[in-house]
Amino acid sequence: MLAARGAGRRFGNRTALEPTTLEIRAGEAIALVGPNGAGKSTLLALLAEGLDPTWGSVERQEGARVGWTPQRPAHYGRLSARENLELFAHLEHVDPVAEANRLLAEFELPDAPEPSLRLSVGNRQRLNLAVSLIGNPDVLLLDEPTAALDPAQRRRLWNTVAAVRARGGAALFATQNLEELEHRADRVAALLDGALVFDGGVSEFEDSDAARVLA
Amino acid sequence: MKQVLLLVTKDLRILRRSPVLLGMLVSYPLVIAVLVGLVAGYANSKPRVALVDEDGLPRTVVLAGESFNVQKTINRVSENVELVRLPRPEAERELRNGELVAVLTVPRGFMADLRGMLQSPELQLQTSHGTLSQRVEQQVQALVYSLNQLLQNAYIKTNLGYVDALKHGATITFLGRQIDVLGLERTAKLLRKLPPSPERTKIENFVHDARLALAETDSAMRATANPIKLVLAPRSGRSWALSAQVQSYALALTITFLTLMLAAGALAAERDENVIGRLVRGLVRFGQLIWAKVVLAALVGLALGFGIALLFGVIIQAGGIVGGEPWDRIPLLLLGIVLAAASLGALGALVGGLSRDGRTASLVALIVVLPVVLLGIVPREFFPAAGWVSDAFPFAHAQRFFDSALYDASPWGTVLHEALWLCGLGAVFGLVARRAAPRLLA
Repeated sequence: MLAARGAGRRFGNRTALEPTTLEIRAGEAIALVGPNGAGKSTLLALLAEGLDPTWGSVERQEGARVGWTPQRPAHYGRLSARENLELFAHLEHVDPVAEANRLLAEFELPDAPEPSLRLSVGNRQRLNLAVSLIGNPDVLLLDEPTAALDPAQRRRLWNTVAAVRARGGAALFATQNLEELEHRADRVAALLDGALVFDGGVSEFEDSDAARVLA
Repeated sequence: MKQVLLLVTKDLRILRRSPVLLGMLVSYPLVIAVLVGLVAGYANSKPRVALVDEDGLPRTVVLAGESFNVQKTINRVSENVELVRLPRPEAERELRNGELVAVLTVPRGFMADLRGMLQSPELQLQTSHGTLSQRVEQQVQALVYSLNQLLQNAYIKTNLGYVDALKHGATITFLGRQIDVLGLERTAKLLRKLPPSPERTKIENFVHDARLALAETDSAMRATANPIKLVLAPRSGRSWALSAQVQSYALALTITFLTLMLAAGALAAERDENVIGRLVRGLVRFGQLIWAKVVLAALVGLALGFGIALLFGVIIQAGGIVGGEPWDRIPLLLLGIVLAAASLGALGALVGGLSRDGRTASLVALIVVLPVVLLGIVPREFFPAAGWVSDAFPFAHAQRFFDSALYDASPWGTVLHEALWLCGLGAVFGLVARRAAPRLLA
């Protein structure tokens, strides 16, 4: 559904991600692991087409919608949750009011005029997730999505991921949490110093050199 | 276009919810405009000039029979300079320090020359190298002109006294001697007592002609003294604060500050909010993002510019100022404001794209806007290079457009010329900003 073909990125003189090839196939949930600064966020941004690759390319299956949740909330702080959802729905050419209603309810976000910068950290992260789910994307790219969520919201998030997979979609999520890796992923991609050092099943990863290095 | 409008609506909504930012954006340029006005006012204040009296001017001088109080006379004729009496060494020290702009010296022998009237007495003027020296020279020339006029009037008055004595007869003092003058009037009376004769008739005719001629002496002498006279009509024009030039400068300055900083900040804010990545992944193109900031600048500039023009107009109308506000020119002015604000918005977007984050963008915008505005204010006649540099930025073109749109009898030539400049500059800045915008993702 979505693939990086030798895609890499350089910022000035610093290489954030070496040329990397990674395929996301229908029905998969892939955990992207690696220490801080390994290039996880850069790879997700390249796959989301929020960043142009310095090398290689990103291929997307025709008609496939991609939802991207950056690690740092990406919405307008002076707009309310509803206004943010309606604006991005407009830009995505989706019915803004219906989509905002659906996502506000699904993520239990306050439907109040208060600016989103006054929301709690958890609510801001939920809004960040909700914006990336506008238009029911087929592929979810999630950058440490559960970091600021409470247990109930985490369960809800994984239910959403499961629903996407169930209708033939896929998810790639960056995580530092080994429990999530074990229970939520069926494949692991590991990055170290900007290079992909492992791409395989969860059990293979646990026995690999990469897991030992990353541990 | 729809994407652009959505982003503009979003930015306007955010701006409305940021009253402190909005207040700063509106009040800051107005404060700057007032400060520039005060500086311009200071430039018109009286320059300080020393009076070095080497001749020991007396307290009172009697010239042509008229008594002059020296200090009062100096005060009367030195309205445009602050004249301070100083000894020569102190005056020279202050001139070197720049505390004085000129030294006016009354040399030894001045009073003797003035009383003798054998040669013109001289005053000596020494100016500094500063930009005010030319102005001070003119003002001291005006001071000497005023002194000459006072003396001239005194001499004319004395001479007219002599003429009066010739006409009517009187006892006068001339070069210290008392002289009894018979006068033409009394001559005519004496002639009438003489027996008629051809000689008497000839003398009577001469007396008659002489009386007629002397009757015109008063106005003839004054006309000779002042071949051309400047008559000052009562002041009726606008005060400096409401002049056409001040209106156009205030508008251009306010719009330049506001729109440049707004567009720069608004573009950089897309990165600060971390939404730039979301937007450019197919939702909005970089070009549309730049357009959105240009349209935002144009709309906010239009609203503020209209408000300022309205305020000026109301003050002018309420004050019954001569000429009134040219209300029929407001639509043309608004067109100029939109073009200027859009052009400056493109420059602001370029600044925002290059700076990348909001704080840097605001600082860079401020650093850019100050020289742009100051260069536009420097008169081209004094420093042509400032004019050439200023032409590369929208401020000077905006000011000339506003000035012409408001008050030129036939503004179309200037307005079209400046509109083309504004459009051209806006297009160039917009294209460069489009090229710079991807830096926001780095």
